[in-house]
Amino acid sequence: MNVKTRKAVDSINKARQAKIYAELLDKDTSVLFDDPLKNDMVLNMGPQHPATHGVLRVVLRLDGETIIKCVPELGYLHRGYEKLAENLTYHEFIPHTDRLDYLAPMSNNVAITLAIENALGMESPERAQWIRTLVSELARISSHLMAMGSTCMDVGALTILLWTFVEREKLYDIFEEICGARFTTSYSRIGGIANDINDTVLAKIRKWAEEFPKNLNHFTSLIHRNRIFIDRMAGIGLMPRDKAIELGLTGPTLRGSGVARDLRKDVPYLVYGRLDFDVMTRTEGDVWGRYMVRVDEMSQSLKMVHQILDQMPKGEIRLNEPNVVLPKKSEIYTKMEELISDFMLINFGAAPEKGETYTAIESPKGELGFYIVSDGTGFPWRMKIRSPSTANLQGLSHMAEGSMISDIVAIIGSVDPIMGEADK
Amino acid sequence: MNNTKNTEAERLNFMEKLYLPEIAKGLGLTMKYMFKPKFTRQYPEERFEPTGSYRGRPVLVDTTGGERCVACGLCSRVCPALAIEVQASETEREKERYPVKFEINMLRCIFCGFCEEVCPEEAIVMSKEYDIVFTSQEEAILGKEDLLVPEEQLQDRLEYLAEYK
Repeated sequence: MNVKTRKAVDSINKARQAKIYAELLDKDTSVLFDDPLKNDMVLNMGPQHPATHGVLRVVLRLDGETIIKCVPELGYLHRGYEKLAENLTYHEFIPHTDRLDYLAPMSNNVAITLAIENALGMESPERAQWIRTLVSELARISSHLMAMGSTCMDVGALTILLWTFVEREKLYDIFEEICGARFTTSYSRIGGIANDINDTVLAKIRKWAEEFPKNLNHFTSLIHRNRIFIDRMAGIGLMPRDKAIELGLTGPTLRGSGVARDLRKDVPYLVYGRLDFDVMTRTEGDVWGRYMVRVDEMSQSLKMVHQILDQMPKGEIRLNEPNVVLPKKSEIYTKMEELISDFMLINFGAAPEKGETYTAIESPKGELGFYIVSDGTGFPWRMKIRSPSTANLQGLSHMAEGSMISDIVAIIGSVDPIMGEADK
Repeated sequence: MNNTKNTEAERLNFMEKLYLPEIAKGLGLTMKYMFKPKFTRQYPEERFEPTGSYRGRPVLVDTTGGERCVACGLCSRVCPALAIEVQASETEREKERYPVKFEINMLRCIFCGFCEEVCPEEAIVMSKEYDIVFTSQEEAILGKEDLLVPEEQLQDRLEYLAEYK
């Protein structure tokens, strides 16, 4: 007979309990009850949730509708770019940076080439620097347009997303004429840029820049005094100034908390030292503050675009140093030395001296830095990518804990994470 | 963390707090946009015509004397996605080398244009083709006969390269 009486079951249970207690006492351990009342709920948000901007997974512990714990989990889009870089020459790694922050590939191209140039100890010619500044500011506007649109969509204003997409589309048309691709630009090169911009494209940029403020006003007039929009944005996801600095946040996420840190002003690179612009900050430190910083920065970028178009000089677009910089195409076809250096450069790569360099730029999301360890060959010994989205996502749990479950989408939108960059 | 004070909402005036005018404003916009010209394109009927700067499918330039390619293998070396395979052989023509086998795996190609940029003979260029469709993986590996395109069809790109690259 395998059937046991109630009494027998009880006694077995009692014996089991006694054994467990004895074991615990013996090992001198303690038992912690995370949820003694059993009313908490663990909710998985993502990695396939539309409001997580990609493949971000957020594990939430809820007490009713209040978030009491928030753990962002990264790595679903990990493609191993840092390791991949070790097996590619510096030149070959440029297209891979398009796929880091895929909303502003132009900025990433500029960042990697500035880092390589810093490692090689050289500076690109004047016109190349102006063009790089121009395209990174256009990339900033396109990235902020997307951030603005998706934040609005997260809180329910779908119209704005469609409108900002139209503006972004116009910018991508411009990118396509500049470099030949809308999204994966691969435009910057070591010692300059891939090709020159002609005057028709510059005129097109100017025409767009003149129309854009009107459109931006149109977007903001619809939602910025809308009561529902403000109620969903203001006072949510608070990030105090000190905590933001402690966590190492950068970009609009940091400036929304009232810290005026902007590498374009603090460590002027390219031609930013010669341009007139302000660093936009907000003191609120909430979702509204971070959102408003992005909207204000678009106007500042536009101001810079106008200045660049007015002041851009003519001249060479790539340095004339055949052993590190790709020669001109016409020279490759006709001259023997250039042909040889073309072959040498592609096969062995431009080799920086042994040593370590760190170069960072202010990308639309924050400080994007490349830490290059060179062993004197054409391949980096180690390349560390300091991507702003990874750092900014560290602040997510602090912002989310204590707020309502419905606010988490607005908070994620205000951090503006790009998972391609966060997971690398 | 939640901020209990919603300062932005306190700044709203009475009309904005009422919210009713906002609904009217929104509906007015909907009406306005109904009669505005559309930004989107009716794709298969209305095709997108790229300019010379466009980086489409990489092709081999076909001149009257055969392909320009001398099978130096530089494009295959620089390709970040390892999409190109070249095998060289000798020939009786003026340029003594030619590719016996030239394959581009279009499933690997990322359209970066590096092959075109390093080519010392202007033999591989990016065309304007962007609607590339395959029904199987084997079909996506383009051989020499698929890649060769007459020079006349690539004039836009060749002119662009000569002027701006």
